[in-house]
Amino acid sequence: MIRRLLILNGLAILGVILFHSSGWGFVAMFAWVHRYMPATTDTFAQAGGTAYYAFRLIEQLIVVSIPAFLFVSGFFIAFATGRTHKTVGWNIVGARIKNLLIPYLLWSLLAFAMGMVLDGRRLSPLAYVQLLLTGGATPAYYYVILLCQFYLFSPFLVPLAKKHWVLLLSVALVLQLAVQILQYPVILGLDVPSGMQPFVDRVPKWFFATRAFWFTLGVVFGFHLKTLKAWITRYKWVWLGLTVVTYVLGVIEWEMYIKWSGHIGMAHRETLLDNVFSIAFIFAFFAFANVSILWSKQLGWLGGKSFGIYMAHVPVMEVTARAIYHLAPWLLAYQILFQPILIVLGLGIPLLLIVLMERSPARRYYQYVFG
Amino acid sequence: MDTQAILMDYIKKELMKGRNVDISPSDDLLGSGIIDSLGILQLVSFIEERFNFQVPDEDVVFENFFSVEALTNYLKNAQAAA
Repeated sequence: MIRRLLILNGLAILGVILFHSSGWGFVAMFAWVHRYMPATTDTFAQAGGTAYYAFRLIEQLIVVSIPAFLFVSGFFIAFATGRTHKTVGWNIVGARIKNLLIPYLLWSLLAFAMGMVLDGRRLSPLAYVQLLLTGGATPAYYYVILLCQFYLFSPFLVPLAKKHWVLLLSVALVLQLAVQILQYPVILGLDVPSGMQPFVDRVPKWFFATRAFWFTLGVVFGFHLKTLKAWITRYKWVWLGLTVVTYVLGVIEWEMYIKWSGHIGMAHRETLLDNVFSIAFIFAFFAFANVSILWSKQLGWLGGKSFGIYMAHVPVMEVTARAIYHLAPWLLAYQILFQPILIVLGLGIPLLLIVLMERSPARRYYQYVFG
Repeated sequence: MDTQAILMDYIKKELMKGRNVDISPSDDLLGSGIIDSLGILQLVSFIEERFNFQVPDEDVVFENFFSVEALTNYLKNAQAAA
């Protein structure tokens, strides 16, 4: 199962690449439609087309990526605690956070510089600090702030994960569901009392409660591996069936929300059903640990570099998409061309940078750039 | 190369990426930040391939991977018992 974690990480980073390329696909389809279609074209004219549903199918599958990353990180905390210690050492927590924050700062500063150069966006020093504290330099960097919070909580989580794991998991799940439910009025386009509005408007993605269950599940799994592995294996067909059913239902669910709210271009948010899908997917992935996975070695290799790819793919994809917007807008009309370009460059350039740095004298600074 | 030297070489080259930090076989790999969540998984993968030895899940614990020395001792004992 341990080896499976690295493959899961590899699948998760591929998922992130596909998720963000689909995101740019939606941008090209809706916000940039007038770059390749007459100005009179309805912005959402392409909603409901083949490319639209292809993106939705990808988005729905990929909801498991961040839960998978957090699960692996939680599992590490259990490993790092060991059998004899009461909880994980603060020195280990400190080392992990340091190794996350240095690359995070570097890539965030690059994102700020890109904002200045490409958009002329200049903010006050306070606004930059606020963005850094909330992972807001790019839409994807919230994950680092989220993960740092979990690492900071982990010395307190570990004793509970050891002795009261059912209670801990239940509390984490309830907390996560409660926060997710707050987003439903926005998803459904409902009117809410004004006092509730600040909570409903935006539950920030960097807030630990939004994903509390996944990290906790990883910690608990690490401490009770034998028991839980036997349990998930016993019901392996249930997890597989649930994965397929909740995947299909998740696609239908989101389409229904879009119809009810009338917001065709609404960005996908994690729903309650998506949680069931992610749990079922992760459990099925480990329950069928004896089933070999195609390209598992390559996926494991990718998994080992997932943090570096995660940080680097964001600016690469943005520059690629914007370059196409300015230089070859006709490409935006053909997702069959636009998507492979984004995916190949979004994965290929970060990997190339990683490999080049590994083989150059600058490799001693690798940790500061790619984690 | 013996087991300890092989492990040390892998950790220095692949996990530390040639950083200018001297490590000794007894150094704490986790507390010093040499191994992270992905590093431990990579190390398990490497051991399984290099030594043709399947590390049981329940053996992937802090006590066995705390340092190169601890890992070397674990591998010696585990391989002898296998």
